[in-house]
Amino acid sequence: MAELVIENLTKRFGEVLAVDSVSLHVAEGEFVTLLGPSGCGKSTTLAAIAGLDRPDGGRIRIGGTVCFDDRSGTFLPPEARNCGLVFQSYALWPHMTVFDNVVFPLTLRKVPAAERRRRVEEVLALVEMEAYADRYPHQLSGGQQQRVALARTLVYRPAILLLDEPLSNLDAKLRDRARAWLAELRTRLGLTTIYVTHDQIEALSLSDRIVVMNRGRVAQVGPPQEVYERPADPFVADFIGTTNFLPGRVVETADARALVALGDGQRVAVRTARPPAPGARVTLAYRPEQIRIAEAGEMPAGAGSVVAARVASRAYVGGRWQLGLDLGGSPLRLETAAPPAGDRLRLWLPADGAILFQGSTDVSLV
Amino acid sequence: MSGAALPAAGAPGARAAAHSWREAPIQYATALLTLVLVAAPLLPVLYQSVVDRPLYDAGRQLTLGNFVRLARTEGFGLVLWNTFAFAALTTLIAQVLGTLAAVLFGRTDLPAARLLGELFLWPIYLSALVLSFGWYTVYGPSGYLTMLWNAVFEEPFWDLYTLPGMAAIAGVSLAPVAYIYCMSSATITDPSLEEAARVAGAGTFRTLSRITLPLLLPAIAYSAVLNFTVALELLAIPLVFGEPAGITVLTTFLYTQGVAGIRPDHGLAATAAALMLAVVCLLVWLQGRLLGNTRRFVTLGGKATRPRPFRLGRLRWPLFALAALYILATVVAPIGVLVLRAFASFLSPMVPLSEVLSLANFAQLFAEPIYSRAVWNSLVVSAVGGALATALIAMIAVIVHRSDFRFREPLHYAALFPRAVPGVVAGIGFFYAIALMPGLGEIRNTIWVLVIAFTMRFIPTGFGAVAPMLLQVSPDLDRAARVQGADWWTTCRRVVLPLMRPALLACYTILFISFFKEYTTAIFLFAPGSEVIGTALLHLWIQGEAGLVAALAAIQVGVIAACVAAARAAFGVRLHG
Repeated sequence: MAELVIENLTKRFGEVLAVDSVSLHVAEGEFVTLLGPSGCGKSTTLAAIAGLDRPDGGRIRIGGTVCFDDRSGTFLPPEARNCGLVFQSYALWPHMTVFDNVVFPLTLRKVPAAERRRRVEEVLALVEMEAYADRYPHQLSGGQQQRVALARTLVYRPAILLLDEPLSNLDAKLRDRARAWLAELRTRLGLTTIYVTHDQIEALSLSDRIVVMNRGRVAQVGPPQEVYERPADPFVADFIGTTNFLPGRVVETADARALVALGDGQRVAVRTARPPAPGARVTLAYRPEQIRIAEAGEMPAGAGSVVAARVASRAYVGGRWQLGLDLGGSPLRLETAAPPAGDRLRLWLPADGAILFQGSTDVSLV
Repeated sequence: MSGAALPAAGAPGARAAAHSWREAPIQYATALLTLVLVAAPLLPVLYQSVVDRPLYDAGRQLTLGNFVRLARTEGFGLVLWNTFAFAALTTLIAQVLGTLAAVLFGRTDLPAARLLGELFLWPIYLSALVLSFGWYTVYGPSGYLTMLWNAVFEEPFWDLYTLPGMAAIAGVSLAPVAYIYCMSSATITDPSLEEAARVAGAGTFRTLSRITLPLLLPAIAYSAVLNFTVALELLAIPLVFGEPAGITVLTTFLYTQGVAGIRPDHGLAATAAALMLAVVCLLVWLQGRLLGNTRRFVTLGGKATRPRPFRLGRLRWPLFALAALYILATVVAPIGVLVLRAFASFLSPMVPLSEVLSLANFAQLFAEPIYSRAVWNSLVVSAVGGALATALIAMIAVIVHRSDFRFREPLHYAALFPRAVPGVVAGIGFFYAIALMPGLGEIRNTIWVLVIAFTMRFIPTGFGAVAPMLLQVSPDLDRAARVQGADWWTTCRRVVLPLMRPALLACYTILFISFFKEYTTAIFLFAPGSEVIGTALLHLWIQGEAGLVAALAAIQVGVIAACVAAARAAFGVRLHG
């Protein structure tokens, strides 16, 4: 087990900056998730940590070992870093049995035969695959292959564990079970772990901290709840959880409150620590679960605002309805148990919990 | 979940790093070996072409005189014309036959299309030398069919000792190449393109001529350049049929000037070889360009679903008869009669077969130590040389496709370069190289010089069998081993190479067959003691021992047939394409 320190990591593919001076400090035993859409640089960062790709600049240190340093020209090959990497494809060697796959790293480390056998049995028991030692990978299901891949990595107790979208090849039901299993295993092992995924639920439920990446840069680092509730920018807000964006202009401010006029002139009150000056362009972000249809006769109060919206589309998705709304020219998504009667309705927007971003945001970009 | 604790910490990764030094020497050694192998025959040829006396003589001076002399050599213009006419005619015949066969056997409801297609391919498994003898036994002046024809009609309408006669044999033996390229293009081509034409109201033959054939054009064009190149390099057919009739082409010119003549003119031979090398390089470059275009064309295609065969209707059986007759006349008869001749003391339509059947040819063949030695040498060169070449090719492939070796692109280029080196040029080149290199005298008269030359010749062939499979092995599999602490070489040995086993077996089989039937390079390099079947065949041919030629050829046909059958049964590999 070891800490991981990344400083100003940079990697170019031709003209494209795949990773743009990323810095990150992962403490011993910490579970950190790199989260972002495809092409955001998370897998490239992981490959750089494992030593599979040579970065163009920066430093990588694992425990006391400097693995990469552009100033001194240090670059350790992957085999010298003692990392454990579980591939998205599992990468089990098809010509070897489960036992041979798992024992391979121990053979490389010249562990005596008796101990090799004992440790393979131990780790296969840990992932509940001890009955399958003589099978070949193609005889296993996807979930079983994933466990063997993990066992093959854990058996030599790597300094850090790297997981590259390990659940993405499983079907939805199996994925939920595997996630719960992984969460339990993680608490027990306490390994320093870097987990790469584009799935926000995996990231939120497993991590100590989440690193949201966008276009090669770190957009936000923080514990799951903080990233979800206080996204640093509209990209993070949109990527983690569905978010409705409402552009507007500040018309009035008072201690930690701002009154924002939407495109069609309707006014919305939000609570914010540092309200911008009146006249500033802003974007309000609401989670779908924060918005609800206003009850009949409900009036704006200190806790929230009531606005009128038009129903643009409705779809029954099993047990509830998904509504597409139009509020002052901005699209809005909302789920409700009972559909509204007409194509007009009134919405209740809470003042607390809404996030106010400076400037107008082209939401279609994120 | 069991309550087992995680195993104790393993050894630090630094141990694995201790092996990392192995990577560079292995990669550099392989690259250097490949470079030496490829450059060895080329540099002496190019050098000899610009000096004024044989390479082994002292006092050499640089000169362009050889080129002037070659240009002024009487009849050299005719040699060039013959070469071009022969190659062009051969290509034309091969493309027409190959395309027709691909459409007929691959796209229509012709009876027994699969079997006919298999038989159509047979000429590429055999050496052109054996095919020449086969044609000679059937259609030669005293051939079986010629005599039959003479008995019934007057003169036969064919004469193999002419440019069209030679081109017919060569065209038939190269038609499978066009066939293979068309077939693989037809299977990739989206069948919905044809179906669209039919839905639009086009009939069978209109669809064939307006849609199917135009879609095959890239494949036809590419294989045409390929066949033209092979026809330029062909030695056997011009040697067997052209030389007696006084028709000289570039390869036979090189053969007579370079080795067979009483006083070989090395300057002239090397200059002609350099000229040929330049032309073939140009053609191979053209192949590369065309292949790029072909790929671009093919990406239009959709899924590789089996297209619906065209219905031939009333023409079905007449076309079948025609195709069967063709296969009988060009494949079954030449090979069959040649094998039959091997088991007969004499073969004539006037004499009943039962009276002439005997094993005397084989008895006589094996009574002569030269010929049994030739068979044995061929087997050793193919079995051992094929294995060594496969090992080298495997190393080149993993370095080119699975390492971060600095010079892997140049290595890739060097490994594929022998495609541009005709067999006769490689033969002359190695002949010079061995005469020139002081340390190589030891191997001069052994079969190992053949192993070296054949390996150089067939690196691209073997590489073509190995590389596609290697590219299909997910790089994650070797990355996984690297991350776990295996250095590059351990990863190759334990993960990559074992995964490539089927491809390596296919490569070995292809090389075994290629080495076994190779004669072009060998006739420049063999010496008493290092004869192989190809050189012995020519030797016997010159002596006029038709029965022994047939017996030796039958042995070659038998071994290759057994190999092809075994390879198919064992791992279902396709030995072509």
